[in-house]
Amino acid sequence: MKVQYVSPFAEASSSVFHTLIQVVPERGALSARPQIFTSQQINIVCGITGAIEGVVIYGMSMTTADKIASKMIGQPVITFDQLAASAIAELGNMISGNSMSLLAGAGYECDITPPTIIRGTNVKVTTLDIPALVIPLNLPDLGTFEINVSLQERRRAAA
Amino acid sequence: MAKRILITDDALFMRVTLKNILTANGYEVVGEAANGVESVNLYKSLKPDIVTMDITMPEMDGISALKEIRAFDPGASVVMCTAMGQKNMVVEAIQAGAKDFIVKPFQPDRVLEAMTKAA
Repeated sequence: MKVQYVSPFAEASSSVFHTLIQVVPERGALSARPQIFTSQQINIVCGITGAIEGVVIYGMSMTTADKIASKMIGQPVITFDQLAASAIAELGNMISGNSMSLLAGAGYECDITPPTIIRGTNVKVTTLDIPALVIPLNLPDLGTFEINVSLQERRRAAA
Repeated sequence: MAKRILITDDALFMRVTLKNILTANGYEVVGEAANGVESVNLYKSLKPDIVTMDITMPEMDGISALKEIRAFDPGASVVMCTAMGQKNMVVEAIQAGAKDFIVKPFQPDRVLEAMTKAA
């Protein structure tokens, strides 16, 4: 997997967090992750199709998800209800959507699928034969927001 | 008379956010659709003044819904409101008759500016 697929997601995350909840994330070190890894408490799964394809998973703790959703909604989230889940899913959608604009600018035209939220730790996530690259973002006062990017260039059909 | 708006977005959070911005600024939200199919059906029954339209949605995407609504009513005012801001998406929407294109996340003023433009 090419590292150049990852930067747009980090860049888009920074601008989305800043515009949406006025938070400036600090980017941590990029690392590789095996094809099978364990989920976090809250995971937003977003499919990518087009010139490059695969999946991007945004992971965070329940506490971080509650804090982000509270800021997005403008009132404290007491229980992680449908509105809070929808806010967190939309966060993933915004980051992915903004990343698509950056990837299109780099010559990769892609589309995204509506996001899915997976709750619960100890879920084994398998990205098949595409290893994931991970960028942790530290959101001051909110916690860590991890971006798992697992993408590859679309294979051309055999002639 | 207040302009009548139909909101289209699969995310409950976005529908609530848009509704809050619009109703606080004198607009009447007459309907909420969670996908393109619902939006086309509600457009036909409610005849709103302006439609806000997400693009990435299950069942029918926003570009297809925009085209169906414009085929039903060539004078329909539809404002795209989506996280997908790449150039080809904007061009396709504008060519299909969208009045404006808001990229999420947005500030409330951007939504109100689009509503004024679409009215």
